[in-house]
Amino acid sequence: MEKATPDSIKPNQLTLPQLLAVNAEKYGDTKTAIREKAFGIWQKYTWSDYFHYMKTTAAGFASLNLRRGDNLCMIVNNSPEWLFSELAAHALGATSLNLFTSSIAEELAFSIGRVRSPLVVVQDQEQVDKLLEMRDKLTRVQYVVYVDPTGMTSYENDPWLISYAALLERGEKYLADHSGFIEEEIGKGRPRDIAVMIQTSGTTGVPKIAMLSHRNLTAMALQWIEASNIQPEENWISMSPTAWIVDQMWGMGVALAGAMTMNFPETPETVLEDFRDIGPSMLITASRFWEDMASRIRVKITDAGWLKRKLFYLGERVGKTVVEKKLRKESISWPLGLLYRFLTLAIYNPLLDRLGCSRFHSAFTGGHPISPDVIGFFRAIGLNLKQCYGLTESCGIFQIQPDDEVKLETVGKPLPNTRVRLAEDQEVLVQSEANFSGYYNDYQSTEAAFENGWLKTGDAGYIDEDGHLLIIGRKEDIIRNKSGDAFSPDFIETRLKFSPYIKEAVTFGEARPYITAMINIDLGNVGSWAEERMIPYTTYMDLSQQKAVEEMILKEVREVNRQLPDVMKIRKFVLLYKLLDADDDELTRTGKVRRRFVYGLYIKIIEAMYGGLQSVPVTGKIRYRDGRIGEIETTINIITVD
Amino acid sequence: MKAFRSRPSIMVNRPQEDKKAELEVRNLRLSFGGVVAVRDVDLSVRTGELMAVIGPNGAGKTSLLNCITGFYRPQQGSILFNGRDITHLHTHQLVGIGIGRTFQNIELFPGMTVLANLTLARHIHCRYSFWRSFLYTPSVREEEIRHRRILEEIIDFLEMQSIRKQTVGSLPYGMMKRVELGRALALEPRLLILDEPFAGMNLEEKEDMVRFLLELNGRWGLTMVLVEHDMSIVMSISRRVMVLNFGEKLGEGTPAEIGANPEVIKAYLGDAQSPS
Repeated sequence: MEKATPDSIKPNQLTLPQLLAVNAEKYGDTKTAIREKAFGIWQKYTWSDYFHYMKTTAAGFASLNLRRGDNLCMIVNNSPEWLFSELAAHALGATSLNLFTSSIAEELAFSIGRVRSPLVVVQDQEQVDKLLEMRDKLTRVQYVVYVDPTGMTSYENDPWLISYAALLERGEKYLADHSGFIEEEIGKGRPRDIAVMIQTSGTTGVPKIAMLSHRNLTAMALQWIEASNIQPEENWISMSPTAWIVDQMWGMGVALAGAMTMNFPETPETVLEDFRDIGPSMLITASRFWEDMASRIRVKITDAGWLKRKLFYLGERVGKTVVEKKLRKESISWPLGLLYRFLTLAIYNPLLDRLGCSRFHSAFTGGHPISPDVIGFFRAIGLNLKQCYGLTESCGIFQIQPDDEVKLETVGKPLPNTRVRLAEDQEVLVQSEANFSGYYNDYQSTEAAFENGWLKTGDAGYIDEDGHLLIIGRKEDIIRNKSGDAFSPDFIETRLKFSPYIKEAVTFGEARPYITAMINIDLGNVGSWAEERMIPYTTYMDLSQQKAVEEMILKEVREVNRQLPDVMKIRKFVLLYKLLDADDDELTRTGKVRRRFVYGLYIKIIEAMYGGLQSVPVTGKIRYRDGRIGEIETTINIITVD
Repeated sequence: MKAFRSRPSIMVNRPQEDKKAELEVRNLRLSFGGVVAVRDVDLSVRTGELMAVIGPNGAGKTSLLNCITGFYRPQQGSILFNGRDITHLHTHQLVGIGIGRTFQNIELFPGMTVLANLTLARHIHCRYSFWRSFLYTPSVREEEIRHRRILEEIIDFLEMQSIRKQTVGSLPYGMMKRVELGRALALEPRLLILDEPFAGMNLEEKEDMVRFLLELNGRWGLTMVLVEHDMSIVMSISRRVMVLNFGEKLGEGTPAEIGANPEVIKAYLGDAQSPS
């Protein structure tokens, strides 16, 4: 390896193992690189330990004939062994491919066979069993290294299986016999070499394998470090599967380049408790995580004492007001400011501390859109929860919302050194050094993924007046209205369905002047809403046509419209007299709306919405539970949204 | 690192002479008034064995265990452990010489946490004095850390990390049984006596328990006597089986021998020729 003083060399001129070597030299035993909870306490590994274990693991792999150019498959949980093994593969010039521990045996065998992995690192007995089941198909696999020896006693005589502890022993011996070998191998690496491979979730056919080079990962890391001002020894807690991009971009990128500490929970069941122990400074997770957390808090609060409950609700209201004022850049009156400061001390801080969220400087939600209630709630109690966007091919998250510019519908602005623009057809294109290096053994798809050096994300979007990117949806799901503006039914419907009163929604507007919606109310929630207001009703049909219910849903639709760009605003809607049902072929068995079928079935109502009528008489078919089909006649009101 | 899990030091680092557990029960008789619960039973368990005691309800299995562990006083016969007569020793003395047990009906402190319940079992291994513990001197602290480490290794081995700080009363039944096993292990016994460790468990919990017992016996050489109703488990894990019926020994041998013993089959399935 080139001898350079650690500070004079930029991380993106190094490979990941070289970066680790530099950190080991720079921080040695003074800074914590990894922390793992084991035997009830957090065990710490310094950068020297990290480098030492990585080298020993690499030597162990070398003794098992892992060579430059090979691919190493890993089926592991988040643990130090994951980091050691993955970087050890890179140190030898091999690439790594992480697979999901939840995958079934056939899937694993297929992926392992596809990249011709001569060696597989697995977590435990469960994974070993899957590979043993597929053993006759895995002819190229010479050894399987298992990390966790629990329950492996009866397998110990199988020469195909090697424990990680034994691997380390082999490594020690190999290092003693071949001193300087690993350093030499590390030195041979070049930043443009492929390091990490990630299998993308293919919706159809064989999943593609995206290849990321050392440079891709370090470039992404530098962008994040700059954007979020990441300091050494800040805490990251590793919880999302290693086969996903998020923990790869962190473990194999940001944490190395930024000298952050990677923390590993004790077991999957203790994650919440361990999360609180650590109090991470940053987090990127799916919206589901936050939604679960918010509902857990609400449940606990309903059980709390009178004073706590009152203070909590007051805190939430005040918090929301202040956050909204800040967003609109309005000034905050001094009594409100004082109250907010009091509540921060009395309510928000203790609550955040209880959740393990008191040390966040920012937290991100990605993937599926998050409910406005949930993000609003967390922001109100002072948690800097923001939205972000990225994909495997871009080497992770490249769009984040800047502080205090958190708008519900957008995914914010690009990271530094990242350029984002829209194609003619509104597809989002991104250009950055982090853009992936291609698909494994798939030249055609690689070609198709780029347009003049810009990565095609496959998502359609647009950029609003503040320069924020707004993702509408997958490009193939986009529909155009009469004047050619793109919109995504799914984008609108998801937001409608965030309302507890709306069970299902279908939007229309293809080649039409504006967007209309057909809404199914939620019988349970709207029913109890009506009961509280002493509104009598008999059936679903009756309830859905109540004037008061129409008014209430109109308010909900207006609220959603507020978050939507003009072309996507709903102009008219109806409350359907029956629930869409899979038995009537209106939904698929998995609960998705069969849009075209529904369009054909209710064309009369849809035409009426575009025809300027106030109401429309309909004759509908209803299938009873016993299979009989009855007819109902009713009149549906068409509600216009101003 | 996970790679160094499931090697509890009290098991791994145990010298061979500390594993010696030779139990000899001779001509044991226990009666309650006119009812004879155990009638002239002989039993011998060698070091490293996993011996199962089976029998229909009321056969005297638990009574036999209670005699061995000092809860009942037999009227006749003797019990020898590693050559020493233990027939009249008290429970706490038996724990001291290396006999640990679990109970059929869980006997934990439901209001205390799992960790506290386990910690209690380390009491017999505490060397510091009552007064020194008040001062919490460095040597006391060091010893406490050592005990906690041992307990944590047991928690890890039995996969109880997520319930470490929960009160025992709030746990599902199968988990409580696991805690009981953990407490017995924390005593560092030479001979582990288990009274129906699988009762009331679902299939998954049973599988886990089998794994733990096999590991303890097969890998670490812990001697065990186990009373159990679940025949499939008994037949698959034990090396020797003794059958009791109405307090009398009906047979003894390997699982295969017992499975073929006509007396045993009769006791379990009834007698086809019997006039009733």
